[in-house]
Amino acid sequence: MNLATYSRRNLLRQPGRTILTVVAIAITLFVFCAILTVVNAWNAGANEAAKDRLATRHKVSITMQVPKRYIDDVRSVKGISKASWAVWFGSKDPKQRTEFFAAFAVDQDSWFEVMDEMQVSPAQLEEWKQTPNGAILGDVLARTLEVGVGDRLVITSDIYPGDWEFKVVGIYTPLRKTADRNSMVFRWDYFNNDARTSFAHDQIGWIVSRIEDPTQSAALSRQIDKLFDERDDQTMTQSERQFQLSFLGAFSAVLKAFSLAAAVILIIMTLILANSVAMSVRERTHEYGVLRAVGFRPRHVGGFIIGESVLIAGIGGLLGLLLTTLIINMGIGPALEENMAGMFPYFRAPTGLMLTAFGVTLLVGVVAALVPAWGASRLQVTDALRRLD
Amino acid sequence: MIPVHYNIRSLMVRKVTTLATAGGIALVVFVFAAAQMLGAGIERALGSAGRPDTVIILRNGSDAELSSGINNDLLNLLTTRPEVAVDKGGVIGEVVVVVTAELRDGSGVSNVLVRGMPERGFAFRPEAKVISGRAPVAGSNEVLVGKAIAGRFRGLATGESFDLRRNRPLKVVGVFEAAGTSYESEVWGDLDVIRTSLGRSAAVSSARARLTSPGQFEAFRASIESDKQLGMKVMREADYYRKQSAQTSGFLVGMGTAIAILFALAAMIGAAITMNGAVANRSREIGTLRALGFTRRAILSSFLLEAIALALLGGAVGVALVMLMSLVKFPVLNFQTFSEIVISFRATPGVVISALVFSVVMGLIGGLIPAIRASRISPVEAMRA
Amino acid sequence: MTTDTNTEATDVKREDARAKDIVTLRGIAKSFQRGRESLQVLDGLDLEVPSGSFEALMGPSGSGKSTLLNIIAGLDRPTRGTALVAGADLTKMSDGELAKWRSENIGFVFQSFNLIPVLTAAQNVELPLLLTSLSAAERKKHVATALRVVGLEDRMEHFPRQLSGGQEQRVAIARAIVNDPKIIVADEPTGDLDRKSADDVLTLMERLNREFGKTIFMVTHDPAAAERATVQRRLDKGALQ
Repeated sequence: MNLATYSRRNLLRQPGRTILTVVAIAITLFVFCAILTVVNAWNAGANEAAKDRLATRHKVSITMQVPKRYIDDVRSVKGISKASWAVWFGSKDPKQRTEFFAAFAVDQDSWFEVMDEMQVSPAQLEEWKQTPNGAILGDVLARTLEVGVGDRLVITSDIYPGDWEFKVVGIYTPLRKTADRNSMVFRWDYFNNDARTSFAHDQIGWIVSRIEDPTQSAALSRQIDKLFDERDDQTMTQSERQFQLSFLGAFSAVLKAFSLAAAVILIIMTLILANSVAMSVRERTHEYGVLRAVGFRPRHVGGFIIGESVLIAGIGGLLGLLLTTLIINMGIGPALEENMAGMFPYFRAPTGLMLTAFGVTLLVGVVAALVPAWGASRLQVTDALRRLD
Repeated sequence: MIPVHYNIRSLMVRKVTTLATAGGIALVVFVFAAAQMLGAGIERALGSAGRPDTVIILRNGSDAELSSGINNDLLNLLTTRPEVAVDKGGVIGEVVVVVTAELRDGSGVSNVLVRGMPERGFAFRPEAKVISGRAPVAGSNEVLVGKAIAGRFRGLATGESFDLRRNRPLKVVGVFEAAGTSYESEVWGDLDVIRTSLGRSAAVSSARARLTSPGQFEAFRASIESDKQLGMKVMREADYYRKQSAQTSGFLVGMGTAIAILFALAAMIGAAITMNGAVANRSREIGTLRALGFTRRAILSSFLLEAIALALLGGAVGVALVMLMSLVKFPVLNFQTFSEIVISFRATPGVVISALVFSVVMGLIGGLIPAIRASRISPVEAMRA
Repeated sequence: MTTDTNTEATDVKREDARAKDIVTLRGIAKSFQRGRESLQVLDGLDLEVPSGSFEALMGPSGSGKSTLLNIIAGLDRPTRGTALVAGADLTKMSDGELAKWRSENIGFVFQSFNLIPVLTAAQNVELPLLLTSLSAAERKKHVATALRVVGLEDRMEHFPRQLSGGQEQRVAIARAIVNDPKIIVADEPTGDLDRKSADDVLTLMERLNREFGKTIFMVTHDPAAAERATVQRRLDKGALQ
């Protein structure tokens, strides 16, 4: 036997209370990990976004377009290896198999060279260049819309009137996790020649360009914007990630709220554990008096209490990590990654996060026991012995 | 029935335990109520922007003003309809655009909705009032900025200016309020100045019409939508905003509520631990009460009552704390316009009631098993122990 | 053996008290604060306990018996006076020093046994040894010896709830002697026991006194228990009679 034997045995004294406390800690730790996973996944999107790509768009508004000829100016900038362009086409499926998806009119010659995280077979790419109304879909979107190569696909737009008919000529697959598998592209020339787009003829939504040296991205961004400084439509060039964020501007406030919620759940965890420990300590005050009488010091008594609390926290923590692994890493994580790759290319609780969370739980074990341990170690031996409840 | 003060006293005796448990419940209720308050804030901002006697006209196929477009000549056609109350506002055509604006705190950029309206546009919305600065001179490049975003962005404070097109700055001359609606997150300027800047002089984004009475809606809609040549659709303004409100708040309130419910699981376990302890501590007492003739049901309800009192204490503290959130402004993204609207957390009687009910439910569920245990204590054994 | 001889001898022996008396209390006073009132429990009490004696202290409830016992055992400090016990001046020691001193010099026997319910008999006995530098093997040997002395070597792995009251008190006595203390203090050791078990426990205490030379200081209400001691004292209203 050693000093830990006593702490360990004490756990089973009120098995009901210990089990409830362990479960409460497991749940709170799981929620803590889940919240941090969302925050982490959001940042991971930023970290994994292509560092060698810039997006150039209208300076005033994301909804305004720039002249198509701007692409030539961008391509002429030294340090830009490739550039392509796209126009947003807010898409709806008339058959309502999905509420809304991303479709873009793009340049068939350069799009997949720049967006190299999406892979299309050379044969399909060739077929696309031969088919004016050809469209290429992400594999997940194709599954949702239940279409395959060779099928006809009719969609509508929020912006451009009427039905738009395309022929599916290819399916792209992701090469990197950041690839959005839920979007569709079709040819810009076909789109630009349609009478329904005449009000924005020869206009493009944004230019996306690859740069040779990622460290030059800030300098090149400024250089591109300077090109158009004296023109009617000025531009704003950003990293691709910032560009994505400009569609979801207010998300940072949500992330802040999430972080706050994570802090709140830790406080709740501490309160539950502290209460549980305090109840046990109160019941055992007399016993601590006996220990003190036979020569144990206040720090021993404090140690027993903290040790027991940390033990409960540790067991609950391990259970919480198990829940996190099962529910997030093996459950909703993979599903989200597939369906929301653009936003959450990586939706898992990473090992580092889980270890940190476990460490925090042990720390909660210490903090929760501090007040009861302090109270118990300060008691006069004679008072403690007198107390029989 | 065992007197309630018996329970209240027993909660007061075990101060630390009571405070820790009620504190946990208070935090859960805080999170829950904050989510509801955000929902109520969004509802207030978007839901109340619509008036029952007003309709919005969009291009067919468009769900939002931003992606819609209506030619000027079609606009004139609307004005001639008999359902339109010309004297109460008639028809106004407006242009909307979202512009990129830099946050003043340097944390990045966001999108702000700019609305170009005819001179009558301001009067069309009687709830709108200039609260600082002055009204813009009609037909000029002067604009007003909504109260909710005033001071939030560079270039959007009174006295500052921003470009919609090169060398054609719009000058902010004042701040307006609009009864807490999402209009307060917009910038309002002159229709012609703004649409000329955008190169869209021949069209507006959307039109609004004031009807002689809300009952005229169906007749008005039928007359516009039956003419396929017009390619326009008509919605009640209230419905239009309700949809935006639901879309915008759905994710946030759903997330917040889900988090609160998970938190509640933990808090209920906390309450169960506390009530279990209370039952164990008082088993002799319970035995005595049973021996005195109190029924199992009386014991059960007494402990349930104590659990509810404990939870309500937490709930009340949580509700009191969450009232402070009324001072917090929270930017959310209106998915229909891609622009930011700044929401105030809003306390309503409904929020308070649902938060208190939520805490009572936590107390009930957490206290149920301990209360059942208490009611099963045998008087003989308890008194021997 | 009578109280008279002892009291008469006190004055004579005063000079060499350090050598012969294991407990020497001088002018001990103890008061407690009860709200605004100060309660004087002991007032200027003197006491000598010769080494190797078995003393019983009797007296009505509230007479200060337990307080006196606690002061001798180093659990409580007097408000005034000096307490020399087992060669140490308790009033000059810090709490930490007192704790260490207790673990080496005092064995405790309580009325309600005070065994730790989650530990076995052997583990309960081992408890005070955890504070020493003894190895696990040595601790095991000491525990076995102590339990053999109290006649419970076959109950080592039993938990307190599996033992009778008399057995529990004997385990508690084994715990009290396992670190070979000079003094055993016992507070109503037979108070919770039936007559038969009480007799067994008292017989055991007599043996510890005679065979092992332990000084025993026992507080009791029970005249039959007091009979077994070599010295009987009475405490009333804070003074020894």
